[in-house]
Amino acid sequence: MSEADNSKSGAGAPWTRRKVLGAAAASTAAVALGAGLAAPAIAQGKKLTYWGGLIFSDDANKLLTDTINEWGAKNGVQTEVVMINQNETTQKVSAAVASSSMPDALDVGLDLAILLARQGQFSTLDDLYKKIGDAQGGWYEGTDKATDTSAIAGGRVGIPFGVNGNLLLRRKDLLEPAGFKDPPKTWEELAAQAAAVNKPPVYGLGLALSNVGDGNTQMSVLQSYGGRIADDAGKKVTIKSDATKAYLSWVKDAWDKGLFPPGNTTWDGAGDNQAYLAGQAAFIANTGSVGIAAKKDDPDLFNGSAFSALPGGPKGVISPITPQLRVVTKSSPMQDEAKALLEYLSNPDFMNAYFNVAIYGPVLKAQEKLKAFDGSNTILVGLLDLAKNGTAPAWPDVYNAAYADLSGNFIIPKMVQRVVIDGWDFDKAMDEAQTQGQAIYDKY
Amino acid sequence: MADATFETAPARRAPGVTRLTIFAYLLVAPVLILIVALIGYPFVFAIWISFTDQVVGNAGKWIGLANFAYLSKNATFTASIWNTIVMVVVSDGLKLLIGLGLALLVNQALPGRGIFRSFLMLPWAMPGFVAFLTWRVLYQPIGGGINLILTATGLHSGVIDWLGQRSTAMPAVIVATVWRGFPFWFVSILAALQAVPKELYEAARVDGANGWQQFWTVTVPGIRQVVIVTVLLSSIWTANGFENVWLLTQGGPSDATIVFPVLAYFGMQTQRLGEAAAVSVYTLPVLIILVLIATSLMLRDEE
Repeated sequence: MSEADNSKSGAGAPWTRRKVLGAAAASTAAVALGAGLAAPAIAQGKKLTYWGGLIFSDDANKLLTDTINEWGAKNGVQTEVVMINQNETTQKVSAAVASSSMPDALDVGLDLAILLARQGQFSTLDDLYKKIGDAQGGWYEGTDKATDTSAIAGGRVGIPFGVNGNLLLRRKDLLEPAGFKDPPKTWEELAAQAAAVNKPPVYGLGLALSNVGDGNTQMSVLQSYGGRIADDAGKKVTIKSDATKAYLSWVKDAWDKGLFPPGNTTWDGAGDNQAYLAGQAAFIANTGSVGIAAKKDDPDLFNGSAFSALPGGPKGVISPITPQLRVVTKSSPMQDEAKALLEYLSNPDFMNAYFNVAIYGPVLKAQEKLKAFDGSNTILVGLLDLAKNGTAPAWPDVYNAAYADLSGNFIIPKMVQRVVIDGWDFDKAMDEAQTQGQAIYDKY
Repeated sequence: MADATFETAPARRAPGVTRLTIFAYLLVAPVLILIVALIGYPFVFAIWISFTDQVVGNAGKWIGLANFAYLSKNATFTASIWNTIVMVVVSDGLKLLIGLGLALLVNQALPGRGIFRSFLMLPWAMPGFVAFLTWRVLYQPIGGGINLILTATGLHSGVIDWLGQRSTAMPAVIVATVWRGFPFWFVSILAALQAVPKELYEAARVDGANGWQQFWTVTVPGIRQVVIVTVLLSSIWTANGFENVWLLTQGGPSDATIVFPVLAYFGMQTQRLGEAAAVSVYTLPVLIILVLIATSLMLRDEE
């Protein structure tokens, strides 16, 4: 169509600047109106949203969901429970923080709690923490110290509800016939026992050396040999040391003897679980989830297994606890309701039922007397021991953001991989870990 | 006055700007706004935060090139550059060979070729995580399908830790990546082959060209543009591929299979958004160069 045709039809008449601006304003108003209409819909549905940490136990997940909804029904509070896979909590919470769409309350691990407390994302809960502690015999010392965020957030931001950490799970049905009735007390003993039953396809040491959280168990082994990540100020990295060299000797020796199952340098988070459940590993370090799976799916394996504390090194036992917390977000318009819910969730009846189906140790001293910890469940016995005697996260190192960053970059398992996969000598591997570690610490 | 107004009014009108033109712009405006909001803004924002020390929950401050300087000194980052290049070049080379070979085969008048074509598309139709987790099971050192086949056929006895050794980890990831990605090449090249006029082949035969000469003088020029576009798209997808490496090796063992997206993911895991964005931004110049090369080749073909 020519311009002349346009003129004839009237469509080609020139638009004035005013008309164009008017059309643009109308478009903008339409977009703004669309956005504005959505807002009241969110505000109208005032309900308490809770993000629960999804764990291996379906029973535990259901119990938490049902309990929150029942509490809501009793108290006239509309509730919505969303169970978040714990492996994805960081990503989901990060996205929620960025988009200002955090729930009212949620379950978080200590790492994320500390990081976001530093950014002022959570409400302080000192009064509630004290009230619950006073009512139930006080908090275990390790939990109390590890979860104190006063220095970074002006108060406590989380109510601990359970601790986990690694226990040593062993195949007593293989070890006892080989003459090992008692669990190994040291890593050297562990390697000796593992070597005695190492008959592929059953391998002695089902420890992950890969770039996943399980691989960071090696940090505890290193520390039990006297190695340190950084100095007491938590500033200067001190990975390169004779103690680290002694630790690397232990790993390399076990590797050369073929005690580790093949593939353990690329295992995902379930690698050790699967190896143990498939009968390919005589020992693993695990939170207890494997025990629950074995109890349900392979009773023979469960009956042939036993739990104990992690072994120690020349400098003692390093068995860090990882407290899990419930937090209230500062952006929540339902602060009082969220705090009331957290108080309700700490009641002994619920926690007794929850401990029975979940894989957490207690956080309050009175919880030791709950039926769940009467000794009939060997996993919970191990977790109770961990709660009472476990070491603080990162100890003897300082647990700070740099330490968490170094852990998240798997510097120690990567150092081990340099030795066992790439064949680097200890000094070269330690040099690289030292340099990379210091670069991380220098950022903070 | 009135005459003067009539004389000046047409002079203000921009040539070619009519109500219809402006109306057309208004019609496409919503799409443009969406593109800017969904692509432009995140793109520019990612570049912006790569120059900051932003962490989750804190906007951070401008730190210039510090993230890039930190990364450039990191041995893992250096490894990820090399691994990404190897992954893209070798994967795409193999995808081209397999895709072209199968497309040439299926382009022939063979019985049951329709079923064969559909069958070849299966890897691409399968969700990525299912495909790579299946490969992970196949690669299992104990009880894995590949080792079982090797043992059963007598080709090798014993355990091969496909994903746990530096020498085999990257090839294993590449094989799985090629398996998942070759159907796109196959179907693209097949479509291009079917668009090559039959008369050209007849003319070449009349001129005495043999099969090989027909391939080089008729087939290759006929599918060249499609292959260039396929190379470009596949290179970008492979360079940005995350699930293949993450589900198979998490970048290990050691740094044998670490690639840019996995490295960026590690940055995200530690909440350091600025650093994670810097990893992604590092790939930008390479991708821009790829686009420019492909575009210039395509334009040259058109000329």
